[in-house]
Amino acid sequence: MKMNRHVLKENLTGYLFIAPQLLLFLIFLVYPIIEGIRLSLYRINYTNQVFVGFENYQQLFQDPVFIKSTLNTVLFVVFIVALTVIFALFVSAAVFDKNAKYVSFIRGSYYIPVMVSMVVMSMVWSFLLNPANGLIPYVAKQMELSSVNFLGNPKTVLPVIIFITFATNVGQAIILYIASMIGVPKDLFEAAEVDGANKLTIIFKILIPMVKPTTVYIIIMNIIAVLKIFVVIQLLTGGGPNNASTTLMYFLYNNAFKYNQLGVASAVGVIMFLITLVLSFPQLRSMFKKN
Amino acid sequence: MLNNQNKKKREPVDVIANVIIIFFAILNLFPLYWLFTSSLKNSSDVLKMPPDWFPKTLTFSNYVDVFQNQPALRWTFNSIYVSLVTTIAVIIVSSLAAYAFSKLKFKGKNVIYIIFISSLMVPKEVMIVPLFRIIQNLGMVNTLNGMIWPNVATAFGVFLLKGFFDTIPDSLREAARIDGAGEFYTFYKIILPIVKPGIGALFILNFVQVWNDYLWQLVVGQEENTKTLMVGIASLMQDLNPNFAYKMAGATVAAVPMLLIFIFFQKYFTKGLSIGAEKG
Repeated sequence: MKMNRHVLKENLTGYLFIAPQLLLFLIFLVYPIIEGIRLSLYRINYTNQVFVGFENYQQLFQDPVFIKSTLNTVLFVVFIVALTVIFALFVSAAVFDKNAKYVSFIRGSYYIPVMVSMVVMSMVWSFLLNPANGLIPYVAKQMELSSVNFLGNPKTVLPVIIFITFATNVGQAIILYIASMIGVPKDLFEAAEVDGANKLTIIFKILIPMVKPTTVYIIIMNIIAVLKIFVVIQLLTGGGPNNASTTLMYFLYNNAFKYNQLGVASAVGVIMFLITLVLSFPQLRSMFKKN
Repeated sequence: MLNNQNKKKREPVDVIANVIIIFFAILNLFPLYWLFTSSLKNSSDVLKMPPDWFPKTLTFSNYVDVFQNQPALRWTFNSIYVSLVTTIAVIIVSSLAAYAFSKLKFKGKNVIYIIFISSLMVPKEVMIVPLFRIIQNLGMVNTLNGMIWPNVATAFGVFLLKGFFDTIPDSLREAARIDGAGEFYTFYKIILPIVKPGIGALFILNFVQVWNDYLWQLVVGQEENTKTLMVGIASLMQDLNPNFAYKMAGATVAAVPMLLIFIFFQKYFTKGLSIGAEKG
């Protein structure tokens, strides 16, 4: 009996400690997910809601702007994540074994743009790319390039967005890779050097395989971050020209807060939620293994 | 800078690679250089082509403009308030939960923890419609509270702090218990002071994240007096005023606090960010 009371008390203490977190979690995370799924099955006009089943989803898959948003988002994810991983690996592998001051200089230079909000970075880039008086069109004119309106041209707008997003976010991957590479035991490199391996062989045969968990983490985190790409689209292109640069998150935002299509917007949200769930599965599995 | 301490011979590939890396590092900082210098130019110099690579005359009039003709002071206050209150609330709520997950035994602990951590992978933006309706029902639209509370419901703090609590031996807690200390006393007076570095890292990372947040603040704060700095300076973009220098001054006001935080607390970023990757 006394033992039982003790266990009960210990349970109660545990629940009390997690109660505030759990409450917020239920209100602002669990409930919105359930409510989002429910709303996606309704047509909503201000206060009245009509159950329409999967009509919102059917409507989405027939909407060319949604299709374009999805394709663009996939394109952004693939190119930005690939560029980020390759460039961050290149920088980190070349830098991590240098002296600490140099490492922190490189790390800082690449990380500072990450620290600054995407809103600020978008404003600077918008100024830099402004066709009338921006620096980049000016330089392009000096080099006698034909097109200087990089954001107004459907052919150049996607590469420009990809580059800006990559350049302002790669610092995070560099920090993670450098930390991970510094942690690789030195004797592995020394043994390889004794065997006559050059630096490139060491990087490809030892370093890259050793930091694989970091690579997986960076890939998943970046996919999820790029999936919700919004700020740079809203502030630089407004999804244009002619929907050429629209994305899922931008499409969701417009449906929800401009066109008042809450049911459709919720359906987009549910689709994005399912995508993140599937993509994050490997990361979650490895986290639970460690626990 | 590149001297090799071990006197190994430096391979040419290595040298070339590092030259490229330094070049791109400088190029990567150029937009920020352009931001700062443009904000200090007058309205005609900023549009001059060919441009002045170094500003010829420095003027602070753009900053005066932003703070006098726009409610930038209000925006700044709102941003500081939202970031600070969110972060303090996150620290209180997460440290309690992380302590429980690390040190206490209760039924369903592992399952609840797994569900908590899974939520790390879901960007809350995808549920922005139902989230906005909740805020509406709570009467929190156009309030700073509406920006704060949904952001307190993050599992990141629990995840980060649990790692710190796990390093503390259980014997410490047991000793305090034997001395008759209550659980909360043990947590607050004995264990919490030991994880101060973790709290510090969480404070910095969370503050920066909320400060730089935009979408949620845009949706919740639609009125002039609830706009945050990010929403405010973004609205300068739509401003018909063709003076770019003045828009750049607004953007600089939003950027500088984060740069200062980075300069002073660099080690927290390296540590705090790496925790997720190490556990993964």
